[in-house]
Amino acid sequence: MISFTLNGKTVQTDDSPDTPLLWVVRDTFGLKGSKFGCGAALCGACTMHIDGSAMRTCVMPVSAVAGKAITTIEGLGTPEKLHKLQAVWAEQGVPQCGYCQSGQIMSAAALLGNNPSPTEADVDQAMAGNICRCGCYPRIKKAILTVAAESSAPSAPEELAANSTAKIGEVVL
Amino acid sequence: MSISRRTFLKTAGIAGGGLIIGVVLTRGDGPALPIKKINGALQANAFIQVTPDNVVRFYLPRDEMGQGAIMGLATLVAEELDVHPAQLDIEFAGVHPDYNNPDFGVQGTGGSTSIKAHYRPLREAAATVREVLLSAAAQDLGVARTDLSIADGHVVHSRESYPYGQFTATAATLELPETVALKPKAEFKYIGADIARVDALAKSTGTAVYGIDVDLPGMHYAVVQRCPVAGGTVKRVATQAALAMPGVTDVLQIENGVAVVAERYWQAHSAAKKLEVEWLLPELLSGVDTKTVEADYQQALISSKADESKAEGDLDAGFAAAVKTVQSEFWTPYLAHAPLEPMNAVVSIEDDHAEVWSGTQGPQITQGLVARYAGVPKENVRVHGVYLGGGFGRRGYVNYVAEATQVARAANKPIKLIWSREDDMRHGVYRPASLMQIKAGVSEDGKISAWHATRVGANLIGGTMNMALPGILPTAVPKGVTNFAASTVDSIMDGWAIDHVSVEGLEGDYDFDNMRVDHITKDHGVPTTYWRSVGHSFTAFAKETMIDELAQQAGVNEVEFRINNTQRSPRIQNVIRRAGAALAALGEVEGRSVGFAAHGSFNSYVAQAAEVSVSNGQIKVHRVVCVVDCGQVINPDIVKGQMEGAIMFGLTAALHGNVDIEKGAIKQSNFHDYPILRMDEAPVVDVIIIDSDEDPTGVGEPGLPPIAPAVANAVYKATGQRLRSLPLKLA
Ligand code: FES
Ligand code: FES
Repeated sequence: MISFTLNGKTVQTDDSPDTPLLWVVRDTFGLKGSKFGCGAALCGACTMHIDGSAMRTCVMPVSAVAGKAITTIEGLGTPEKLHKLQAVWAEQGVPQCGYCQSGQIMSAAALLGNNPSPTEADVDQAMAGNICRCGCYPRIKKAILTVAAESSAPSAPEELAANSTAKIGEVVL
Repeated sequence: MSISRRTFLKTAGIAGGGLIIGVVLTRGDGPALPIKKINGALQANAFIQVTPDNVVRFYLPRDEMGQGAIMGLATLVAEELDVHPAQLDIEFAGVHPDYNNPDFGVQGTGGSTSIKAHYRPLREAAATVREVLLSAAAQDLGVARTDLSIADGHVVHSRESYPYGQFTATAATLELPETVALKPKAEFKYIGADIARVDALAKSTGTAVYGIDVDLPGMHYAVVQRCPVAGGTVKRVATQAALAMPGVTDVLQIENGVAVVAERYWQAHSAAKKLEVEWLLPELLSGVDTKTVEADYQQALISSKADESKAEGDLDAGFAAAVKTVQSEFWTPYLAHAPLEPMNAVVSIEDDHAEVWSGTQGPQITQGLVARYAGVPKENVRVHGVYLGGGFGRRGYVNYVAEATQVARAANKPIKLIWSREDDMRHGVYRPASLMQIKAGVSEDGKISAWHATRVGANLIGGTMNMALPGILPTAVPKGVTNFAASTVDSIMDGWAIDHVSVEGLEGDYDFDNMRVDHITKDHGVPTTYWRSVGHSFTAFAKETMIDELAQQAGVNEVEFRINNTQRSPRIQNVIRRAGAALAALGEVEGRSVGFAAHGSFNSYVAQAAEVSVSNGQIKVHRVVCVVDCGQVINPDIVKGQMEGAIMFGLTAALHGNVDIEKGAIKQSNFHDYPILRMDEAPVVDVIIIDSDEDPTGVGEPGLPPIAPAVANAVYKATGQRLRSLPLKLA
């Protein structure tokens, strides 16, 4: 049995310890927002936060996250209770096929958690691990910079989502 | 649907107050629509359902793969019904002839056709619903039809407004009008407005459902080992080691490989590695390397007879009139589509019924293939719509559905088949490689006096038919026959007719008075299919690099040269002019060079200027100005997004994209050796959309073709090197 925290709740799994966290989260716990794109830490579609850092979970054996706190896109915000990045993402029409976007948003949230006012070069660097085959890069960058500019008093993104009662159309600050 | 078609409303009185179920059949004997049956709803056609509680439901007939068809088509419906697109309840349509793509005659999504093909039919369908609701309201309210109007999902009479749902029961009993008036452009409220995509919220919260996200009770996972060389089959397989792995329930042979079925994906994935398979390799392809292909194409240019695709004027006279003549050859490689969602399918078979969930650009072919491999009647196969995690042509070729169905049938379990990225890279269908030769002349007045283009390579039709025919033809036609038919289509074409997409784009845009376009078919057996912008994805590179060379030879500025040679094509000329002006406005940036290209495709016209720097042999694209004329714009922000996306997709091909063949197998395997453009390489993109009253045309693909030549032309200015092969590599 391996136990860890998933979006604030303690969970246990008897999946074999070498199973990548991505598949445990998707198939054992049914959270489908995190995606499989490459299975080799090359595309970022599977990005989650592990103890606050953005990690590629397609190559992370579940045994390695025992006792750790995992946040997925579902834990970052929901359609009823959007994280500010998600709100701006939707407003600015960032997604095309959408398949990469959970990973993009998780990487962006980790970036803003560490660096609330990134430069364009900071954004390029932090986001270079996330592929968007549809080529939404200009919009992803703009959305991140918009959130950074609007967040006058930034704090850790996860806490923001958890404490917020914002509805669609409102944003979490 | 077209209003004049023989449609009729079948109504049935249901006990309990004469509730009505409206069901439209295409013909009297046609299949029932795969829609929700709602008591008292108005279902005047296959697309729009209005319920008594005022839900306006839109059955989206095209697949949503990121290109924004969901938004564009919803906007057309929204406009004629005066319901905000975000207020529509949108469902993916199942398979039914009424949902056929009017441009294709089958149910499929591609060719940048969704908006173009539906612009009028879908508005007519919505306008019909509007008209019959108004007639019903007039009758129910006892007022004159002319005193009624509509606004925001309501019928309005003087100061009162009534939800549409109030009139659906009456409306369902009325005859549909034969003809309807469409809203004039001056009254457009949603068409042409920047409204956020209706799918953006779901796609920003991880709640949009893709094929890979679908789970069924009792579902097992399948992973397939395939022959490294396409077309190979299993000779011998040792299954014991795989069968002994935890969670594994079945190891099965299917047409093209061996499937491992397990309770969990990772179990199936791990066990598949334990299979020891000996393959029967296909003879032709297993001897093929990229180098063989290139050499064969070169040889074909010299010694093979070409088929003429198009000829006009007098080529010899054109060359005689030339003061400068240029001849160049261009190479473009095989490419993979690599949509970010790897191929997958969920299939469930129960008795003589089957269901499938899978991202596909061809739901009708999908239905047929499931029927064939499940051994059930086509009409008993339910195809569920899901979002596609990218398509780009790849998802029109549904070999993954064929595989999943074979496994589900043999294992007798609901199956989710997932391809790994390596599977996707190595067992896909590819944009064919091409060798193009262009010989052209310029006369004294700077006009292109002669243009002779030849393309050598494989066609697309054969490979595509290989998958499509078994899906489309009746299941009674055996697989062997459909294979034969597909190969016949291909070989009949050779030497007799040109598969137009193989040469499309080599003949157009400019005033070619004396021209010929030829094709030499050389097929080494690499599976090929449509890839975003199809033939234009390679022909524009050759054509627009050549135009640049000609301008240079003529000593004329490249924008001026293009304007001078597009006198007969005002729409391409206009985008060239606009992009030229935008370019001039940009001004010169120290250390950067600007290259230019223009290309018309899918009835749209695009010109691009790319600002590029070169240092240490590295090409960096800083900024792209893109001017597009796609007729009437439905949603400017989506047009802009498609231009941005196509430019990034095209830059991946221009700077990185290459699939190598080694002994018939694909060498590349994942994003480390098939790199996709990343954010730190992405240029700033400025999009200018031409205001137009022409009917709308495609935007998913036309933004792609000009970018590679625009960058190559910039690199020439920066370095003096003419790069005539993709991906661009400096010497
Ligand atoms: S799926 Fe994990 S990085 Fe691509
Ligand atoms: S939106 Fe399609 S991969 Fe990013």
